[in-house]
Amino acid sequence: MNKLIENIVAKPIQPGMVGDGFRVFNYIPRGGISQQRISPFLMLDFNPTFDFGPSDHLRGVDVHPHKGFETVTIAYKGSVAHYDSAGNSGVIHPGDVQWMTAGKGILHKEFHEENFSKTGGPFEMVQLWVNLPKKDKEVAPHYQALTTDDIGQVALANKGGIVRVIAGSTQDVSGPAKTYTPINLFDIRLNPAGVFQTSIPSNHHTALLVIEGNIIVNGQSASQHSFVLFKNEGEEINMQADETSIVLLLSGEPIPEPIVSYGPFVMNTEAEIREAIMDFNLGKFGYLE
Amino acid sequence: MQVFKDYLQQHSPITEEQFQFLKKELKVKTYPKGTMVLHEGGTTQVFCFVCSGLLRAYTLDNQGKEHTLQFAPENWWIGDRNSIYFHEPAVFYIDALEDTEVVLITKHFLEEAQTICPDFRKYNERLLHNNIRHMQCRINQLLAATAEERYLDFIQLYPNLTLRISQIMIASYLGITPESLSRVRKALAKKNSY
Repeated sequence: MNKLIENIVAKPIQPGMVGDGFRVFNYIPRGGISQQRISPFLMLDFNPTFDFGPSDHLRGVDVHPHKGFETVTIAYKGSVAHYDSAGNSGVIHPGDVQWMTAGKGILHKEFHEENFSKTGGPFEMVQLWVNLPKKDKEVAPHYQALTTDDIGQVALANKGGIVRVIAGSTQDVSGPAKTYTPINLFDIRLNPAGVFQTSIPSNHHTALLVIEGNIIVNGQSASQHSFVLFKNEGEEINMQADETSIVLLLSGEPIPEPIVSYGPFVMNTEAEIREAIMDFNLGKFGYLE
Repeated sequence: MQVFKDYLQQHSPITEEQFQFLKKELKVKTYPKGTMVLHEGGTTQVFCFVCSGLLRAYTLDNQGKEHTLQFAPENWWIGDRNSIYFHEPAVFYIDALEDTEVVLITKHFLEEAQTICPDFRKYNERLLHNNIRHMQCRINQLLAATAEERYLDFIQLYPNLTLRISQIMIASYLGITPESLSRVRKALAKKNSY
């Protein structure tokens, strides 16, 4: 049975700035799409193609904490350099995915990569926040730097395009990301008239974002930058591209626990949030210049 | 207005009838982020009760350096008593660090509330003494405490402001340089980090 579509949400009217380097449209949480409704996903910000222009000043977000969840950064265009309080650093290039598990607490900062900043050019990114179940909220912070070579690829029939499997699996190809709860995250690149079919369990909360192009999904038209939210009924997803298109498909098994969010902290109770803030204030997440 | 009503009812058993009578004295106002609420030398006849957002009171010295006297996040009061009670020009600036909604409270409201609700009089006195106590502690801190002691006191008083304002502003409240604040936070991290 085809997975039923609950709603197709257009791009929000106004972008917001995250620091001075990310001009994002926020899709989750928004309107009827609460963090509970789309659990385990907590937040999705999309920076559609935008050229900030050449700059000697490195645009980005200065030191900030995270605790209790994971951040997943998917680079489509442009490059981002990141640094953290555990001494890690790296650059996320187009095609790469950075999967950061904040766990018990980390400080990090992210800026446009120096050379990219100097030249300017198109910049396109998605940042997705994925919740951790209560039992894993205190794991030690760590990264999975998933480069293009690591990411599983499915070649679609009739030269229809490719599906880059970041997490989960489709058509016997598994993604490299290790997740704490069952999650599928597919970067789908369709050629004109390209077709992709997959099956996602009906208990997964499932959505897709049309990054570029226009598609027909389960009989309904989804235009560029629209967000398709599926009901928890049916399994099959069939999509066909009208033109060259890029689609991000996300699905996950809901985490049946309370969600209490305060800015960069996501815990299960208000008391845990207060403790997280105090831990951050007292330097328990470490230090980063 | 509901936030202020809930606050009053939580702290002094003011009745619905009394609140409805007093409500005519109150006005809700919003200040977008960056708005100057009060200028030094200006006059004001109202306190601000912050329903949402964040206000800050500060002065500027001859070199143009800011010195922060107080932050007022949700459920805090802020105002220039010099102007409200002594009808003299305000001695500090108040600005909005976030989009902020306030209830403006006149001296007349406070007088009327104390007349019709004896419990409010007790609460208002307690609030005043608490304010004086806090000022005494703050003077002592600025004279005698180390930078780390000042910071530890700040995070008890304003736990979530470290996520909402810059290091520069926190330093200007603590009376230390941003570099000193960095050193304090680095030393704490060295001592406390997981």
